Amino acid sequence: MTLPSPEIFLQLSINGALGGAMYGVAAVGLSLIFGTMRLIFLAQGAMIILAAYLVRALFQNLGIDPFLSLIIMVPVGLVAGWLIYQGLFRKAAAEEDRNISLLIAVGVMFLVQNLMTVIWGGNTAAVVTSYTASGIELLGVRASFTRSMGFLIALAGTALVVLFLRKTLVGKAVRAASEDMTAATLMGISPHKVNAIAFAIGIALAGAAGVAVATTFPFNPFAGFIFSLKALVALALGGIGNVAGALAGGIILGLIEAYVQFFISGGWTNAIAYGVFLAVLMFKPEGLFSRPYKKA
Amino acid sequence: MTAMANISWKWAAALLTVILALVPFWPGALDSYLFSFLFFVFIYAVMAQGWNLVAGFGGQISLGSHAFFGLGAYTTAILWSGNYLWGSLYETFPRIYYFDPVTMVLSGLVAALAAALIGLPLLSKLRGDYFALGTLGFGEILKVIFVNGGDFTGGAFGLVTPSSTFETLMPHYYVGLGLTVGTAVAIGWLMRSRYGLALIAVRDDEMAASANGINTLKVKVAAFAGSAFIAGIAGSLYSFYIFHVGPDSVFNLDWMLLPLMMTVVGGTGTVLGPILGAFIMYAVFDIARIFVPDYHPIISGLTIILAMLFLPKGLVRKILPMSLARN
Repeated sequence: MTLPSPEIFLQLSINGALGGAMYGVAAVGLSLIFGTMRLIFLAQGAMIILAAYLVRALFQNLGIDPFLSLIIMVPVGLVAGWLIYQGLFRKAAAEEDRNISLLIAVGVMFLVQNLMTVIWGGNTAAVVTSYTASGIELLGVRASFTRSMGFLIALAGTALVVLFLRKTLVGKAVRAASEDMTAATLMGISPHKVNAIAFAIGIALAGAAGVAVATTFPFNPFAGFIFSLKALVALALGGIGNVAGALAGGIILGLIEAYVQFFISGGWTNAIAYGVFLAVLMFKPEGLFSRPYKKA
Repeated sequence: MTAMANISWKWAAALLTVILALVPFWPGALDSYLFSFLFFVFIYAVMAQGWNLVAGFGGQISLGSHAFFGLGAYTTAILWSGNYLWGSLYETFPRIYYFDPVTMVLSGLVAALAAALIGLPLLSKLRGDYFALGTLGFGEILKVIFVNGGDFTGGAFGLVTPSSTFETLMPHYYVGLGLTVGTAVAIGWLMRSRYGLALIAVRDDEMAASANGINTLKVKVAAFAGSAFIAGIAGSLYSFYIFHVGPDSVFNLDWMLLPLMMTVVGGTGTVLGPILGAFIMYAVFDIARIFVPDYHPIISGLTIILAMLFLPKGLVRKILPMSLARN
């Protein structure tokens, strides 16, 4: 193994970080939903791919620029998330057995994956625009334009969620519910309301992530599950319940994958990513960024 | 009344077992669709029962059953294709590995050993969702290891065992039926024993169980390893059916998700639930696959959602008297 030149290393890091931000934004959605409902929403990846297909449909049929379609995707995601919670999870959220919610999420995943296959076929799809191939050159390092935009979307989305949680009263209620649902309920916070809000924001983030994914990667209806798994890894790295940490966890995962791919081999990326995940769960289950006094 | 009901249900189950055991004697049954359908129901029922042991009775949600299923299937395929077990006897008896009980038990033991090794650190450190995520990660790692295992595991293609040994589905059917009944009886008996009580105590209140002198870690790891043993044997049985053990087929997440779903639909923490769930859910999936092939996964997805919305406690608790369903 020879050490690469600093340029290659920097290039590798940038590609990894930009790609990892996609996992990060998926993880932020998972983190919110997990926070209030204690549910691993396995369908998040499928939702992101669904959003990517919608972005493609808007672009191909109506000529709407993929990045412009954010204005449509985010509100649609908010409404869809609210409806999904009210229609599917409201009843299950009241049950003590959390397998039920998990299985509904699995059912949603099957359903969405196969609806996409029926509507758009099982082949790999991509969105190709006039700027897909263009890049930004800085200090001898090249970053793809669409990946950079995806990174910005992830960053902006996470920042908005963090601001919402910190600065608004509703956000405070969501945070309180994530920490202790019973206590929050006793303080007059409606569990269904915070759950629905978490779901709405989570799916809205999936809509935003769909824009980023559609413009950057080729995708197919079944790509979502791997995405969900990677988002889970990012979530654990960042610390479950830590929203900004989830984005950072995604970026770290992207970096790990880029380095493993370059230095070892593409075949081992998943094993090493999950190995890191297991190690974090075992030795630092509260995540990489937690401070000692904070409850995980 | 419940004692009477208990006895009559046992008789009904025994009668059903006898009827199922006689199915192969029906003329033409061996070539019928129903026969292979029942074989798959048995495999899924065994997998569901295994998951039920650790998750239903033990309360530890594992998302790694597919890892142990795959490990069992691979152990059988490796032992057979590499002839690591019987040496020169293999030449004299070319069918020695086919449904060889030693190979099958070893496959279960390898899976159980792996579960104990991974379960000890995971269960001593992690609780609830973290344990679930950890087992999911373990399954994915194992898959990559087998893909990269070179000639020993056959890489991304996997291993092929001599399919010329196949004659009929008869042995598959009987072993499947035997395992289904055997695991159900064994777990039913186990849950009445001291160990079963300890396991349920740990599930219901770990702190209280520990205060009463139960070594909670030991109890949980034993349940996890036992569940892996069952999954490993199911994997071994499947490898005698498929004759090609590849990473994408035996480490497929369906081997974890479907049994989990069947158990929950049938009734978690009941002995009959996983079997009933396997039968009903597999029938729904298969009927959908035959009649609406393009849409069948949509129907499967819908069925799960509807079952969870309207039958969250499982079918068994709906149709059987409460005292019975609990066991």
